Amino acid sequence: MDKIILDHVSYIYSAGTPFEQKALDDICLGIRGGCITGIIGHTGSGKSTMMQMLNGLAKPTFGKVLLDGYDINSTMEDVFEEWRILPEYASLSDRKAKKAIGAEIKKRKAGLCFRVGLVMQYPEYQLFEETVFRDIAFGPRNMGLSEEEIRERVLEAAVFTDIGAELLDKSPFDLSGGQKRRVALAGVIAMRPEVLVLDEPAAGLDPLGRSFIFDGIRDYQRKTGSTVLIVSHSMEDMARYCDDVIVMSGARVLRKGSREEVFAHVEELARTGLDIPQITRVMASLRERGVPVPKNIYTVEEAVSALKAVFAEEGTK
Amino acid sequence: MSNIYIHAENLSYIYHDSNDNKEHPALQNFSLDVHEGEYVAVLGHNGSGKSTFAKLLNLILEPTGGTLIIDGKEVTKPDLTDEEILELRKNVGMVFQNPDNQLVSTIVEQDVAFGPENLGVEREELRKRVDDALMTVNMTQYAHHEPHRLSGGQKQRVAIAGVLAMMPKCVIFDESTAMLDPGGRREVLDTVRMLNRDYGMTVLNITHYMNEAAEADRIIVINDGRLLMDGTPDEVFAKRDVLQTVGLEVPQCAELIHRLREEGIALVGDTISDPEACVALLEQAYRKIKKA
Repeated sequence: MDKIILDHVSYIYSAGTPFEQKALDDICLGIRGGCITGIIGHTGSGKSTMMQMLNGLAKPTFGKVLLDGYDINSTMEDVFEEWRILPEYASLSDRKAKKAIGAEIKKRKAGLCFRVGLVMQYPEYQLFEETVFRDIAFGPRNMGLSEEEIRERVLEAAVFTDIGAELLDKSPFDLSGGQKRRVALAGVIAMRPEVLVLDEPAAGLDPLGRSFIFDGIRDYQRKTGSTVLIVSHSMEDMARYCDDVIVMSGARVLRKGSREEVFAHVEELARTGLDIPQITRVMASLRERGVPVPKNIYTVEEAVSALKAVFAEEGTK
Repeated sequence: MSNIYIHAENLSYIYHDSNDNKEHPALQNFSLDVHEGEYVAVLGHNGSGKSTFAKLLNLILEPTGGTLIIDGKEVTKPDLTDEEILELRKNVGMVFQNPDNQLVSTIVEQDVAFGPENLGVEREELRKRVDDALMTVNMTQYAHHEPHRLSGGQKQRVAIAGVLAMMPKCVIFDESTAMLDPGGRREVLDTVRMLNRDYGMTVLNITHYMNEAAEADRIIVINDGRLLMDGTPDEVFAKRDVLQTVGLEVPQCAELIHRLREEGIALVGDTISDPEACVALLEQAYRKIKKA
């Protein structure tokens, strides 16, 4: 089963006013667990709203968001509806039933914000503690972990995000922009979320800063087997780091699939104000001009080996 | 060659950090000439001094050493009056990263009028400037819209119009596309190109996107407050190894050419920053080897 399921989800801003606007329109979507999924779409296509829904920050106006099969926004009535057909339920007294339902809701919501970690845009503006260590420890501390566990979590997160031990006692406000961003990311990773959701994690960073962030995210995903969702405008980064890609346009899902499947639809992406990686375009032009390179090339590494093969073959003929 | 518009000579900016009570140089002995009508991309990692340089040009910051001459007027003269400073500031307009931080009014045309109005431009002239600026960035139809309901690219175009209405001769874009989607980025870059080509405006584009830098006529690379490289995109991107040591990279097409050459494949040509030129270069090499 998919880790996250959006079941006919709609979200309407300013409902009932003249400014009423659909941010999400009847989205049905499954997101695979244990891989990195990229979400692309032009500004205002509904990406950020969808991200905020995954840990309950925004509640769908209609529809359900399921995490591991459970509706994350379940109410007493919902569970009652679900359970009333079950024979076990019929035998319970009213009081006992209420208690059981209450416990069930608690279970479903328990630690939702720890299980689904959300890294917002420009998260470095949310740093506030006196030291880097304390800032990263804020999440784990709120989870009620012991000091020892907190320490372990902080150090682990610092490794994933490449924050050196010498920085941990510094004030986060004395760090460079790229370092601050990594501290903010570490603060979420320290909660070891099963689902890590990131909105434009590398915006405004230089190339080295970008790869630090993305490599850290990939390391975390590979080592923990968690589910990662990344919103980004950089098609080059998406092609390099994502397994699956979802394309949003006009509050709907336009396309979903492996990065190969999605980036094959060049024209469609261009129409929605998106792009494909430059290297993909270069290789497509070469193909058009009769150089026998394969389709579906999305990274420089892939392009190098494809062209190497072509040149080697021609050279030996 | 046209007139020198920006002349910086041994320019320095040292700031005092209250945390460690030390002086830090953000810019050191920085010398550069930018000619009128040039389109220059400015590269450098976060904290390299790019933005400091931009702020010096607009007199937001005052250099701690060296000489800066803009449009023939010396900005670093010690006895500038407030009027003179205001006059000098009109020379260089700036467009920043976050469109939401630089729009101040609730209606697009009022926002565009904000700058010139504060410069004391007469009503009739103001009307004309606002209309012209909106026409230039192709936003006339949105003149009466609310800025916060526009897309990111449209907002940036409004911000550009606001700068144009002050009629500067030079505009600096400080990572103005960083927060935009690819469509919005294209809109802004096309506008930048048009201002440069059709209106002869001097443009400095500070960016982290190498593909964007490749569109400029000239690239300068700043590292640790010093000028590290200065040349055409092809010249700068030919030195991939130097760029990598300062945390930068080359566009994907140039990277491809570099790596294939490392693999011993003979590719002839210097134009590596433009994807179409790269395609031509690769195709040519393929034909040659096929014939052989």
